[in-house]
Amino acid sequence: MFTLIGRRLVQLVPTLFLVSVLIFSLQHLLPGDPALVMAGEEATPEVVEQIRKRYNLDKPLPVQYVHWIGGVLQGDLGESMRLRLPVGQLILQKLPVTLQLAFMAMAIALLIGIPAGVISAVKRGTATDHAVNVFALAGISTPNFWLGIMLILLFAVKLGWLPASGYVSPFVDVQRSLATTILPAIVLGTAIAGVIMRHMRSAMLQALDSDYVRTARAKGLHERTVVWKHAVRNAITPVITLGALEFGTLLSGAVLTEQIFSIPGFGKLIVDAVFNRDYAVVQGVVLITAATYILMNLLADLGYILANPRLRT
Amino acid sequence: MAEDGALLEITDLQVAFHGPDGRTTHAVDGVDLSVTPGRTLGIVGESGSGKSVTSLAVMGLLPKGTEITGRIGFEGRDLLKESARRLRDLRGDRMAMIFQEPMTSLNPAYTIGDQISEAILRHRSVGRREARARAIEMLRKVRIPEPEARFQEYPHQLSGGMRQRAMIAMALACDPQLLIADEPTTALDVTIQAQILELMRRLREETRAAIILITHDLGVVAEVCDEVAVMYAGQIVERAAVQDLFAFPQHPYTVGLLGALPRFDAEQGELAVISGSVPDMSRRPTGCRFRSRCPFRIERCEEMPPLIPVENGRLTRCWRAPLQRLVA
Ligand SMILES: Nc1ncnc2c1ncn2[C@@H]1O[C@H](COP(=O)(O)OP(=O)(O)OP(=O)(O)O)[C@@H](O)[C@H]1O
Ligand code: SF4
Ligand SMILES: [Mg+2]
Repeated sequence: MFTLIGRRLVQLVPTLFLVSVLIFSLQHLLPGDPALVMAGEEATPEVVEQIRKRYNLDKPLPVQYVHWIGGVLQGDLGESMRLRLPVGQLILQKLPVTLQLAFMAMAIALLIGIPAGVISAVKRGTATDHAVNVFALAGISTPNFWLGIMLILLFAVKLGWLPASGYVSPFVDVQRSLATTILPAIVLGTAIAGVIMRHMRSAMLQALDSDYVRTARAKGLHERTVVWKHAVRNAITPVITLGALEFGTLLSGAVLTEQIFSIPGFGKLIVDAVFNRDYAVVQGVVLITAATYILMNLLADLGYILANPRLRT
Repeated sequence: MAEDGALLEITDLQVAFHGPDGRTTHAVDGVDLSVTPGRTLGIVGESGSGKSVTSLAVMGLLPKGTEITGRIGFEGRDLLKESARRLRDLRGDRMAMIFQEPMTSLNPAYTIGDQISEAILRHRSVGRREARARAIEMLRKVRIPEPEARFQEYPHQLSGGMRQRAMIAMALACDPQLLIADEPTTALDVTIQAQILELMRRLREETRAAIILITHDLGVVAEVCDEVAVMYAGQIVERAAVQDLFAFPQHPYTVGLLGALPRFDAEQGELAVISGSVPDMSRRPTGCRFRSRCPFRIERCEEMPPLIPVENGRLTRCWRAPLQRLVA
């Protein structure tokens, strides 16, 4: 078990290296000169040149990369050209917002997806099963932006129960924080719930058909024990992995939803940065997202191992 | 052989599966069986003859939507008329079953101890400690070394033979009156197989339970069973005491089966190998089902023979019984 985790940790280094090179080179393929954008239209060539010098934009790309990655290795992600703030500080400001949203969305996805998957497997072929599947498909295929707008129209505009946009930190006011994040969390969560439900359903069908479930029934156990103790316990392990990966995508994939609800999270940060050619911010955010994603992968593996007695010993 | 004092008495059991394509498989078609306490009934027959389906019907473990008719008398009640809830109370308590695959029949996610205790907790009003003590006692009874240590282990940590012992311990944890063993040793190697059979024999002496042993292996039948039922294409074709069956098989199919045993080879000549295959059960053939493969068939075999009593209370489903006249 420890060798497995050790091997994964070692893999982390080359993976992150590759990611960092990719981010860096693709980023510089973007049209537009960041120094020009930053200096503004009336700036003299001298000023632009000064900015170039200051941010090392006058050096060849590999040198720029070495500068950047050297800083990253020392925990310095550089400075936002636009906001004149350290990228690390910006990320620390925005990451908790996105994390909160991701956790809420994931909770919604699991709370809906797992029971729905179990129920539809237990009732396979019945009207309940079909209904659950239709909802799952709807959840997966409804575009997030559309659902987001609809929810705003209904709950904020028509009913007036919830604010249409904005964000309040839970450290300021838990209730208002929930009110501002629940709709985007629903939008993100329901899409994932459908995916989770489908995986849970097929894993459950397999488990319910297994010999150990027959043994459990032969013991005279109640059907709920057979389903929720014997079958779910085995069916849920692959879903744990899936859940962790989906969580990873939530960190970067919430861009549009964050925009719609004006949530000042990672999504907004990266969109603003891309439009303003704020290289350092884009690089920092993408690198952190990639690292988190890889970390979630590792946690998924760890969860899988812990849930699986065969791998534990 | 509807003897008095039978613990389990199956009468005219019919089991039909309705497939999604609208086809119906008559997996079991008019089976009569009985077992008495302290005795072992062997059920033999080739793959697909309905042995497992018969035993799953007794346990009430066939999938929903399966059509089951007839009567399964158990301790004076008809199990086919009992509620699902009542059947659950009986399963694992009054009747228990062990399966062929010791590798997959235990839940990989729970310890051996948990899975045995679970059966005890389900049917006895005892606490965790007592259940644990009882489970360890059972593990000791099935001769698993260091039962306290095994109690905490997961199935993958045990060998196939040890797992099957654990399965037996689990099945016997609540002292069932009826134990159904569906090919309990098929997946195990020969020495382990012998040990498990010996264990089952000893446990039968101790518990006086009635045992149904399903197997492909006539050697196993000869060794542990008192009576045998031979199944062919969803029907019982012959029932007899073990010695009688081996001495004078009364059904051409049984003759063929015994021909597969080395010591019968010389005498049986051309019957040693049964050529042909089992009829398609979704078409429910008319007449004697063994007809297409039977060297003794006559015109009358176009009509289905009933189970005909021959000497010693034995039964055979063949128009040409008693067979001695033909074979001798
Ligand atoms: N759930 C089911 N649905 C449809 N058909 C089934 C089902 N279970 C069993 N059958 C069919 O019933 C017939 C009898 O099967 P059964 O498992 O009882 O055979 P068996 O005598 O136990 O064979 P084996 O020696 O291979 O275990 C087979 O044709 C099988 O395909
Ligand atoms: S009834 Fe006829 S076909 Fe069937 S086993 Fe007897 S002799 Fe053979
Ligand atoms: Mg079988």
